[in-house]
This record gives sequence, C-alpha cells and structure tokens, in this order.
Amino acid sequence: MKLQTTAPKLRLQNVSKQFIAPRTGQLTTAVTAVDLEIQSGEFVCVVGPSGCGKSTVLNLIAGLDTPTSGSIEANGQSIRRPGADRGVMFQDYALMPWQTVYDNIGFGLRYGTPGEGLTPTERETRIRHFVDLVGLNGAEKKYPHQLSGGMRQRVALARLLANGPDILLMDEPLGALDAQTRLILQVELLRIWGETAPQSQRKTAIFITHDIEEAVFLADRVVVMSTHPGRVKAVIPVDLPRPRSEHTRAEPRFGELAEQIWALIRDEAYRAIGGLGAAPQATNEAVA
Amino acid sequence: MSTMSLPVAPVRRLRRAWLMQITLVPLVLLGVWEVWAVLAGDSHAPAPTRVIESFIELVAQGGLIGATVESLGRVVSGFAVALVLGVVLGILMGSNRWVRNLLDPIVESFRPVAPMALLPLAILWLGAGTPAAVSIVAYAAFFPLLINTVHGVSRVDRKLVLAARTMGVPRWRILTKVVLPASLPAVLLGSRLAMGVAWTAIVAAELGVGAKSGGGGSGGIGAMMFVFYAYNVDLNAIVVCMIVVGVVALLIDRLFRFAEHRLMPWRT
Repeated sequence: MKLQTTAPKLRLQNVSKQFIAPRTGQLTTAVTAVDLEIQSGEFVCVVGPSGCGKSTVLNLIAGLDTPTSGSIEANGQSIRRPGADRGVMFQDYALMPWQTVYDNIGFGLRYGTPGEGLTPTERETRIRHFVDLVGLNGAEKKYPHQLSGGMRQRVALARLLANGPDILLMDEPLGALDAQTRLILQVELLRIWGETAPQSQRKTAIFITHDIEEAVFLADRVVVMSTHPGRVKAVIPVDLPRPRSEHTRAEPRFGELAEQIWALIRDEAYRAIGGLGAAPQATNEAVA
Repeated sequence: MSTMSLPVAPVRRLRRAWLMQITLVPLVLLGVWEVWAVLAGDSHAPAPTRVIESFIELVAQGGLIGATVESLGRVVSGFAVALVLGVVLGILMGSNRWVRNLLDPIVESFRPVAPMALLPLAILWLGAGTPAAVSIVAYAAFFPLLINTVHGVSRVDRKLVLAARTMGVPRWRILTKVVLPASLPAVLLGSRLAMGVAWTAIVAAELGVGAKSGGGGSGGIGAMMFVFYAYNVDLNAIVVCMIVVGVVALLIDRLFRFAEHRLMPWRT
C-alpha cells in the first residue's frame, strides 16, 4: 500500500451535535466526540443501531446542519453550508413528484450550481449519459409514482452522479428495496462508483446502512456507531479484494467481518427492540 | 356501418340501462310538477313547459345571456384579485412562521364574517355597481385560496427542499422550482373552492346591490332575479335564473377539475 501523504478528503474532529428536543424541551446529544478521517476514493459504510446519530453525521457533512462543537473539513475547507461538491442521496430518494425521470436527473444541472457554464446541449448530453448509465432508457418520460422502488433508486443515483459531486453521501439508499433487488443494486453501485478504476479516479463515498452484510460487501472501512450518546465505537477495515462479486459473500473472511461487527452492536440492538435486556451470551457460540 | 363486433352491443345496452336509471327520478319529478302546476290553474305558477318558454324568451331578448356574462365577468375579476392576494400572502405565511404569527389573528377573525355582511359597507363606499360586487367576490374567494395555499406551502416535503439545497440551487429558485410546484395541488384545490364561493357570492351580492340601486341598475343575473321578484313578478323567469346559476356553477367546477388534471399530469 502506498503511503497517504496528502490531506484527507474529509476530516471530522471532535464533532458534537446537541439540539433541544421540540416536544420535551430537553437538551439532547445526537452525537459526541466524532473523529473521522476519510481518504479520497474511499468507500466508507456507517452502521449502528437506530438512534446512534448516523444520519446526523451525514447531514453535518452535507452542511444541512451545523455542529455544536468541533470542526468538519472537506479538502481542508471548513463546511458551513450545503454544496454540490457533496451530493446527497436521501433514504426515500426525495425525487420531485411533478417531474419526469429525465427532469429529475437533470434537476441540479438545470437549476443548481452543477449546470453553471454548460450549454443546453452539453446539459442534455450529460443527462442522457446518466440515464444510460443507470439503465433507465425508455423510462425518461415517466413520473416517479409510475416507477418501482428499484427504478426510483436508480433515478436518485443518476441525479446524484449527474451533479458531479466530489463526495457521495448516501443515507440508507437501498433500505426500501426488497432483498433480491438490493443484492443486485449493491453490485451495480460498486460498478458505478468505479470499483474497477484505480483509487485516484474513484469518488469518495459515505454510505449509511443498518445492514451489516451490505456494509461489509460495499466498504473499504466500516464505521460502527453506538447510542446514548451517539459516538464512533470502532472502525473496522474491510480487507476483501476488489472488484467484489456475488462470490465475495461466500468467502469465510466476509462472514468473519460481519460477525465481528455484529458482536460490536448486538447488545445495543437487543436493548433497542425493547425490554429484552442484554443479548443471550450463548447465541453467538450456538450459531458459530 | 356494416357488422357490429360482439362486445359493442352489451356495452351499449349497459350504457342505455345506466342512462335510464339516472334519468328516471328527475323525469318523474318533472312530470309530477307539470301536472301539479296545470291542476293548480294559476297561469303564473311555474311549470316545466312554462319555464322552457320563459327560457327561450329570455335568451331571445338577449337579456339572460348578457346578465350571465356580466356576472361571470365580475366573478373572474374578483377571483383574479383574490388569487393574487391569497397566493402571495399564502406563500409568505406558509413559509415564514414570523409572518404567519403576525397575520393569523387578523385572518382568523375575518374568516367567519360572511361576505354578505360586508355588503352594506361595500355599497356605501363603492356604490351600487360593479366595484361593490367585485369586492364582495374577492373577499369571499380570498379565504379558501389563502388557507389552502398556507396549508400547501407549510406541508411541502422538507426533504425536497433539502435535496435542492444539496444540489446548489439558490433560495429564490427553490421557491419557484420546488415550493410552488409542490404546493400546486393545494393552490388548485383552493382555487376550485374559491370559484365556487365566488359564484355563490356574486348572485347574492347582485341581489343585494340590485335592491339598493332600485330596478336592477347594477346588472348581472342576481339583479335580473331581483327584478323578476320585486317588479314584474315572474316565477318562471326566476326558476330559469336559478337553473342557469346552478348549471354555471357545475360548469365552473368541471372546468377547474379539468384544469387540475391538465396542470398536474403527475397525479393520476
């Protein structure tokens, strides 16, 4: 491995976010003391039980929210507001219901900063390119409500990529899909991210999921978060070779990593589903 | 036409049965009404045949169509004023809590005041003519437009606004390209409701304005009804006016539903 001498793409230093809960008026800590450095071209997955502040971290990096303390830098520059250099793919896709597939993909190029300096023809060519890339030819004139979950997800991905962001921020983008579609789109996502390209040409990706196997399959590193208050519990490097395929899931190392991550969050996951107390110790051994 | 394909005949038969079912009760009622009017022996009692005669007469004179067009013109002007005011204020109140807190008490205290309650003031200030009638219509149409716009704007999916911000879309464009289209269904619903109350209000306002101006100087279908009621008592003509008012209301509603369909192709 070559030595990383350049500054990290993203740097979170001692980041905390507190807010006043609207109902109770209580001061609540969403995340605390988050330290994280992400290199250019890295694919990082964030897992953790619900309420661990995964989405908060993503919103802070996106600039949709500001940290109570600590600093967040992208390319050495402090993040203060949203910018098209950090593209976000939302959990429920946030597609404009009144726009066709084609217009949704071109939304940022038409109305936002990514389209600045482009002629209309260049814009069209770019939109076309991403329609093709995610395989939506023939569906350009459809409205989001006419599409399946998998197709909507492709539209959101195409829109994200069409804006040419430096950093991809994805908040459980595959969460709403059925299990089979998910597996297919995971492979596709890696292809589009640039798995076969050298790291210098890949995008930097931060991907939130609650699915441990999905995290292991996709990531270079898995950030494991924990609740009360939300914080980073561990960062697990994933040493599975790329490009990854269906066979990756059958490798013993894949299972080991998933097991290791599950061990880190199982106690909290059991507690989260309510009143069951700690996870039974025997389960782990019995399954193994 | 040559041979008929098989499925067409049953479809036609079904349609004919449906037509008979929905027209049966109205036809029977019309028949009963006609018989009752003839038996009553009063030559002025409204009966379906006399209403039709009266209708033909009123159309031939040109008075009925002229009055309807005049009323519609007032409705459209009043509605236009209400549309601009209601949508602009609605966007401000729906997107800014500060503005909403400032204006909400005023809106809520005027809302229950019936448009007709403003008629005396409108006539005293604006005279017994078009301006008074238009201002009553604008007042009546304003509230459904405002309230639906506020509702629509404040309920815009926040994720869509956030998504636009992450794509580097400037704030004023978020207003025109996200907030406005997202609240269009609510604005159009408000428009349809507003147009309905506007038409109701114009008839009532013209009746009232007509009473004041004496002899229907204000024009419009409401004033026409007033003349048939107060001067040359003609029940058949009044019934004609009532039917015209109802049919126009129905047409307006259909027109707005059609527009909703055309303006929002993304909604099935």
